[in-house]
Amino acid sequence: MIRLENLSKHYGRLAAVDSLNLEVQRGEIFGFLGPNGAGKTTTIRVMMGILRATSGRVTLGGYDMEQEPEKAKAITGFIPDRPFIYEKLSGREFLKFVGSLHRVDAALLQRRIPELLEHFELSDWKDELVESYSHGMKQRLVLCASLIHQPKILIIDEPMVGIDPRGTRMLKDLFLSLAKKGTTLFLSTHSISIAEEICQRIGIIHKGKLIASGTMADLYRLAKVKEGRLESVFLELTRDGTP
Amino acid sequence: MSSLATLLSPNLLSWKNDFLRRGEKKWLRRAVLLSLALGFWVGTYWTIKRVLVYFQTVHELGPALAYQLLLIILLTFFSMLLFSNLISALSTFFLAHDLDLVLSTPTSPPTFFYSRLITTTANSSWMALFFSLPVFAAYGSVFRGGALFYLWVILVLPLFVVIPAAIGTLVTHLLVYFLPARRIRDTLFFIGLFVFIILYFLFRFSRPERLVQPEAFGHFLEFLSAMETPSSLFLPSSWTAEIFASVLFQKPVELWFFYPLLVSYALFLPLMASWISAAVHLSGWSKAQESLQGRRQGHLLDDMLNWITHPFPEILKAIMVKDIKTFFRDTTQWSQLFLLLALMVVYLYNFKVLPLDRSPIPTATLRTVISFTNLGLAGFVLSAVAIRFAFPAVSLEGRAFWILQTTPIALRSLLWSKFLLNLIPLLFLGELLVFLSNTLLRVPAWMMTLSLITIFLMTFGITAIGVGVGALYPRFDHGNVAEIPTSFGGVVCMIFSIAFIGATVMIEAWPVYLLVMEGLNPGTAKAGGWVIVPSLAVVLALTTAAVIVPIKLGLNSLEGLKD
Repeated sequence: MIRLENLSKHYGRLAAVDSLNLEVQRGEIFGFLGPNGAGKTTTIRVMMGILRATSGRVTLGGYDMEQEPEKAKAITGFIPDRPFIYEKLSGREFLKFVGSLHRVDAALLQRRIPELLEHFELSDWKDELVESYSHGMKQRLVLCASLIHQPKILIIDEPMVGIDPRGTRMLKDLFLSLAKKGTTLFLSTHSISIAEEICQRIGIIHKGKLIASGTMADLYRLAKVKEGRLESVFLELTRDGTP
Repeated sequence: MSSLATLLSPNLLSWKNDFLRRGEKKWLRRAVLLSLALGFWVGTYWTIKRVLVYFQTVHELGPALAYQLLLIILLTFFSMLLFSNLISALSTFFLAHDLDLVLSTPTSPPTFFYSRLITTTANSSWMALFFSLPVFAAYGSVFRGGALFYLWVILVLPLFVVIPAAIGTLVTHLLVYFLPARRIRDTLFFIGLFVFIILYFLFRFSRPERLVQPEAFGHFLEFLSAMETPSSLFLPSSWTAEIFASVLFQKPVELWFFYPLLVSYALFLPLMASWISAAVHLSGWSKAQESLQGRRQGHLLDDMLNWITHPFPEILKAIMVKDIKTFFRDTTQWSQLFLLLALMVVYLYNFKVLPLDRSPIPTATLRTVISFTNLGLAGFVLSAVAIRFAFPAVSLEGRAFWILQTTPIALRSLLWSKFLLNLIPLLFLGELLVFLSNTLLRVPAWMMTLSLITIFLMTFGITAIGVGVGALYPRFDHGNVAEIPTSFGGVVCMIFSIAFIGATVMIEAWPVYLLVMEGLNPGTAKAGGWVIVPSLAVVLALTTAAVIVPIKLGLNSLEGLKD
């Protein structure tokens, strides 16, 4: 469903992402881990077509992001790490706007918006301007927007920033249920516990390179760690960038 | 003292780093802005000097006139400084992003207050100071003030800027204490704009052009001769004027009364503001962090917007509805419409009071010539409006631009939606301006038709230049809508617009000249209505280029953001 082939992104001489190869199957939750500045957000921005790759290819649902960006984006939902949204629109208006951009049928939107707002406990705030929302509420509104067109792929950059424990639980359940229904999730996170709890496979990026990828068992083997949790594996693998 | 320096260091270091950052584009921008500023500086100096030299030719009343002008200038500066300090203090004391960080450190209230007061004063006053220098230089040069006058300028100006900064800071603290800060910024912006419009109307409708008419001049002199004293002795601007007058015009003034008076106020007011700040800042800042509330459920508005935008494709429609709603909900955006209205009224009023009958040229010919010149002026007004509304259109997406980047729409649709949204009101404005001014001028039918067609075409080009150059130089990280048009891109946009308007007018000048000559002396130019056709065709081609090229450049620039 998601395929990255020899993906590189250079800023001048700095290789933020270096020859990344990755494949995520339908219905899979893939955790993308890495220290600060490892290249996670750059990879995601290239995947979403916000940044152009220096070389290599991103394919989402069979559509090349460079060749057919509109088709690739039409089946994808995106949640950025910082929820900047239009402050002067109400929550309901914002969702209607994003739905229209995704060409969601008006009648379907009428049904879907209240459902999503209800699910994310924003119904009471639907007619308030976004500028009065807290960070967590904005984050939840962006989540609603990312799901408005029922995407086949969901790309998430640091989903739990600013979300309370109740919201975190709700998100984990949501991600698991989406994956169960066949949605592919690509989850970049700092939170090792979340990755450990919900991701089927994990990739670790360090200094722009994918240094490890696989199931938890694969990673333990690769890091030559016999006991402990994913944290030990992560620390071991990112210590000098090589397993 | 060292903690005060520490608190000021982020600003100073940011300025230093910004200044030293290399990059050809940056230096080019600086060179252009510096040339513009120098041009303005020289222009101001030259104009004031000419006015002052002219005043000196008025027997015995020269210094009185110059003194009155100085009073007006200082009062204007003082009011501008006061208002700009009110706005600036609101940002630095209550809305700045670094307040969380600074106020969570063990900084003493006076240190915090004085560091913010210095930042507020610097932010609000540097521009007024910069543009006041040519005025003082002109005074010094014409009245031979010498080194003593410049020494007084150096001694007085810092006090002159500190007083409005302290008053502004003090008033802002009290306002925030009683009102939520986020509403105050909107209110202050609105009041400021309203005051400006009223002053603009008052000035225009007082018809200052009558002052150059000899029959009114005697009366004017009588009026001024009675005005050798300042109108209000309670204003620091009057004290400053008194000090300068004593050096420049050898006016018998108690210099050692006014200067200590300025010093004492410049010392006492900040102290008083610091006491007030210590008492109310925390509760005010706490209120400033509370969010705005207010339900938005305008079904009528939704229906209206749906009806207005229904001819457009779904994507364009969605973007247009979003932009219209945002526009009318943001005070800083919609209140500019008042400015536009004031501009229009005064513009048309100018045509009403034109003294055409006094001209030695036949009135009908003069009306046609003025109407043709008016095309350029109307184009200029449209480009000024486009800079305010069309140019910031792309930048207004702000940090939410990622939403458009990650949804399945072509960026082309974004630019065309912005173009259409701005084109419609600009077309209405342009046609209305030209139609009403030509009606007031009572121009012949051919001139009316030509003007309406030309302004119609011109509006397409001006709008596209606004939107396209706005996309070429987007400012997604702007803090304030009003700062977008004053950026480097705004200057580029204005230059392109003026070049386009100039080219259009020049293309039509020759056939219009022939038709005017034909009207003046029938049979001499042997020109009929047909002479205008080729030039209209060229204008059409030029307009097409003016629409396509900037939009294309803007689109490439937005696509380039991916790199």
